[in-house]
Amino acid sequence: MYKKSPISERIASIRERYRNTVPTIMTERFKIVTEFYKAHPDLPAMKKRALVFKELCEKMPTPIHKHELVVGDLTSIYRGSALYPDCSAWMFENFRVTDPRERELDRYEVSDEDLEYIWSEEDFWLKNNLSHKMDNSLTPGFHKIVGNGVTTFGDKGCSTMPTGHYCVDFELVINKGFKAIGDEARAHLAAIDGKLYGEDAKKAQFYEAISIVSDAMLTYAERYAQEADRQAAACEYPERKAELEMMAKTLRWIFKNPCRTLYEAVEAMYLYQTASGLSEALHGTSWGRADQYLGGFYQEDLEAGRITPEYGQEIIDAFCLKLAESNRVSGSEVTYANGGYTSGQLITLGGVGRDGKDATNALTYMFLQSADRLDLHDPPMSVRIDDDTPEELWEAAIETTKRHGGLPTFESDNAIIPALAKRMSLEDARDYCLIGCVEPAGAGDEWPACGGSGQESFWLLSGLANQAINNGENPKKGPDGKTTGQTGIATGYLYEMKDFDEVLAAVEKQMDYFVDWHIAFTNIHEYVVAENAPLPVISAVMDGCMESGKDVSWGGAKYNSTGFAGVGLGTLVDSLAVIKYMVFDKKLIDAKDFLEAVNSNWEGQEELRQTIHKIVPRYGNDDPYVDEIAKWVADKFSAKVSAATGPRGNHFAPGLYPVALHVLYGMISPATPDGRKAGEPLSDGISPVQQMDKSGPLSTLKSTSVFDHSEFPNGTLLNMKLHPKSVEGEGLHKLEALIKSYMDLGGMELQFNIVSPETLRDAQANPEAHKDLVVRIAGFSAYFTELFKGMQDDVIYRTEVEL
Amino acid sequence: MVNIDTRGLTYDVQGFTVQDGPGIRTTVFLKGCPLRCLWCHSPESQRFDPQISYMKMRCVGIDECGLCLAPEVCPQAAIKAGEWVDKPAEPGVQIQLPELDRGKCDDCGLCAEKCPTEALFMAGEEWSVDRLVERLLKDKTFFEHSGGGVTISGGEPLSQHDFTLAVLKRLHEEGIHTALDTTGFAKWEVLAESVPYTNLYLYDLKNMDSKQHEQGTGVPNQLILENLEKLGQACADFNRKSIGDYSSAAVAAADPRQVAQIQVRVPVIPNYNDNPANFEVMAKFCQKLQANGALKIIQLLPYHNLGVAKHERILTQGQILEAPNMDDSHVEPLAEILRQAGLPVQLH
Ligand code: SF4
Ligand code: SF4
Repeated sequence: MYKKSPISERIASIRERYRNTVPTIMTERFKIVTEFYKAHPDLPAMKKRALVFKELCEKMPTPIHKHELVVGDLTSIYRGSALYPDCSAWMFENFRVTDPRERELDRYEVSDEDLEYIWSEEDFWLKNNLSHKMDNSLTPGFHKIVGNGVTTFGDKGCSTMPTGHYCVDFELVINKGFKAIGDEARAHLAAIDGKLYGEDAKKAQFYEAISIVSDAMLTYAERYAQEADRQAAACEYPERKAELEMMAKTLRWIFKNPCRTLYEAVEAMYLYQTASGLSEALHGTSWGRADQYLGGFYQEDLEAGRITPEYGQEIIDAFCLKLAESNRVSGSEVTYANGGYTSGQLITLGGVGRDGKDATNALTYMFLQSADRLDLHDPPMSVRIDDDTPEELWEAAIETTKRHGGLPTFESDNAIIPALAKRMSLEDARDYCLIGCVEPAGAGDEWPACGGSGQESFWLLSGLANQAINNGENPKKGPDGKTTGQTGIATGYLYEMKDFDEVLAAVEKQMDYFVDWHIAFTNIHEYVVAENAPLPVISAVMDGCMESGKDVSWGGAKYNSTGFAGVGLGTLVDSLAVIKYMVFDKKLIDAKDFLEAVNSNWEGQEELRQTIHKIVPRYGNDDPYVDEIAKWVADKFSAKVSAATGPRGNHFAPGLYPVALHVLYGMISPATPDGRKAGEPLSDGISPVQQMDKSGPLSTLKSTSVFDHSEFPNGTLLNMKLHPKSVEGEGLHKLEALIKSYMDLGGMELQFNIVSPETLRDAQANPEAHKDLVVRIAGFSAYFTELFKGMQDDVIYRTEVEL
Repeated sequence: MVNIDTRGLTYDVQGFTVQDGPGIRTTVFLKGCPLRCLWCHSPESQRFDPQISYMKMRCVGIDECGLCLAPEVCPQAAIKAGEWVDKPAEPGVQIQLPELDRGKCDDCGLCAEKCPTEALFMAGEEWSVDRLVERLLKDKTFFEHSGGGVTISGGEPLSQHDFTLAVLKRLHEEGIHTALDTTGFAKWEVLAESVPYTNLYLYDLKNMDSKQHEQGTGVPNQLILENLEKLGQACADFNRKSIGDYSSAAVAAADPRQVAQIQVRVPVIPNYNDNPANFEVMAKFCQKLQANGALKIIQLLPYHNLGVAKHERILTQGQILEAPNMDDSHVEPLAEILRQAGLPVQLH
């Protein structure tokens, strides 16, 4: 039987501090990087990135906060946030327009002096950041298609980060360490130095960089050890003193040697991730199968009597709290997409091992236990479901998600492993993890580059509907009352189309066109990163890079792919169904009048809009009339995207998930033919349009599995709402059966919000009383009361279940 | 003889119902009931004809829509502007809702046809046996995975016995587990005819005292108790034929789709049937069912007041019990009485 256990006093006080601390923007990293970049304008990119990392490891503060057991921080103060002007210069203008201290969402403290200092370096960074290089690398055609409503990049200020959404090989961090990794790189270098044939010159650069970053990592750990020494010497409490001494010892051991205990392993993985955050902005940096690579240590600790289960759980609590604390300041507009200081460091649990047998272990439960008893929305967790997932794991996972929306998500091994086995060995595919939000990828052996360029990685299926019936124009009008003109292909206007097949043909043309533009953008971004900001800190611990002598951005990882996330499937499918039903099949409205109604944002057409909602068959209700359209769209999209190639010898991998951008992108999307008004959220993932799933959960699951999920190796996302009443008592097993049925229908991923609309409304009215209420948005979970109203309403909409 | 040409009137067909038997179930709610329970939580199930319903939450307000108020819509002039309420998605923004005069309305449904948001809608849909079975079979995968199936509920499904029997028979032929949620207030012949196609009876026992039964439900309990006793025997006979044994153990071990069992359901209503005396009589009675292996479990359902809001929805003028939700701790001692008598009990 699953039981939620109480937390220790120490953990309780850390949690208290976490919940009551507003994060602060700090300039330590900003300053070191600025000075280094200014002093070394002439360094080649690979060396520059390695040496700036070394500089950071030598100079960044190494604080250990009160009560802490797991340590590592990106600034000198608790819940500080570092800045990355080397990646993108968004902060200068953004901080000027909206003072971070006065933001509506994700408020940050920052001192006046720091703000002044930041702005004083604006001129330098505007010319030297990566995003600037991206702007200058776009081909001429880009300027003509901006504002099309399908692709989401602009023609300047693109690419807010060099990377994101990946998982390194933590076994290398834990079991090998950076001393050995550095030595190996030096040996490779020595073997080719003086005889650099072919690509060897490039490899030499790479190995040298790995040697530099590995040594820097040792320095960083040593400096933390010194801080632990210092605090131990000054500590009056014998127990804490001994603990600090033990921590110092650990910090001196890890990285230099293979870890021996659970605590050493956890500290090593956390400190590595922190160090990697000094180099690249934390962005969907995922933990992979943490239960798998930690499980053995815990077992040995227990058997040797080194640890009690309670202390083991405390280590995991401390680790999870560190993840919850960590945050990265982003632009004020981005907070509307993933508010709640989310850093999205996903942990994968359960599933089969490399041998194909269920590999659930004690750590699987301990991570869930921490999420549950600490009431955390971060770190996100995913549970892999296989044929032999133990009953206790079902129970623990469902009990946890009952109280914490979307924690964990449920992932089908049976859908994901075959999808990945198309590009990797069966054993490696079995060892997959989830990255970013719900994206399946290799654990430590793949560079999946999804979410790579930041928010521009998303692509709006919903926008195709508008383009296809407006002769290749986005009907959205700017402040000047004009549209951006022709940005797509001239496929004619709806009233020129003879039948619904012509509409579909137009959709397909626009789809092909905009998929190609998106791929063009992504591939340019890849070159810009590979040439200007290679990633040695990541490559040092990514399988394949050491052997190939190549950075991950150069294609060094064992496996390569590029994620491509389509957003708004339901909105597009319903839009097409409405056109088919109203204009062609039932001829209830003239095509010209209909187009006019959509393009005028349903002005004066409320009756028509409501009638559409009432009478047209909608996606999500197990109705072939519209589900066939969903299948058509999904098939076309996956085929087109999968056929595209990237510069690392890889194929693109289609996915259908929005992280949480369906709300933000909805805000800037014009009205769509499905009756959606301009500004309203798009549908999320593969879920039906909000409130259009009128036939209950079984029908929703049938509809969302009409297309082949294994053609979407970058992931599908289905957000389900359930009323808490439906999972009371026996309901738990019924939920388990529901998930199993969906997975047998081919469903890949499923996540739940099990909360009543009444509770959510009450939380809007009395936020203080519901401070710890966690809900799932799409790709991440958050404290409900920390979301903005539009997002809160979106969640409430999805939970509107009448009993 | 099962008549397959018959048509049925439902007020809902719902997937993933949780309280209507084992596994994932889809439940058909048939409209019309000979009882009038004070605590009824689906008052729209009571009448045998379609009736107008109004779900406030869906209405966008008179200002934005107001279609139902147009003078030509309602022949009875039963609709007028009514209360101002907070807009559901935007607390603080007020909208005015229409109000229906129950005295004048004759449930013609013309306003529901006009209403674009389905705030006004007709409760009551007619189905042929074929169409309903086809709809139910869509959820077959879920039944197979969960040991679930279809529950025919109401209202009182045996009041539409031709239709109910035809649907049960068809589902049974498709290998689907069937449950019948009944008040037991039906002719014995009808109930008897359902036994070969019904795997589980969800049989309500409301009060062992006939007078009190009549006070709470509008009908005495003799017929209900007699039927239950006969049903226990009929289930035992059926099980003996089907699996060669009728003992509780054999029935429990068999494929649930090959046996007939009874799950007794007791809505525990404050100050009505929540007294030990009632439960002691009930225990005696149920021991007989247990003896012939037909009793699966006795399920106690503590009172909740969900029905109150729904009454508002269908504009009933009838009475409804309004009390606070009942706590499990109140039901526990009553459950204990049944357990002491050696009976299997389940809360909720
Ligand atoms: S159902 Fe009632 S309120 Fe509606 S139009 Fe008919 S009489 Fe009027
Ligand atoms: S027609 Fe429906 S939505 Fe419109 S005001 Fe009347 S009840 Fe409300």
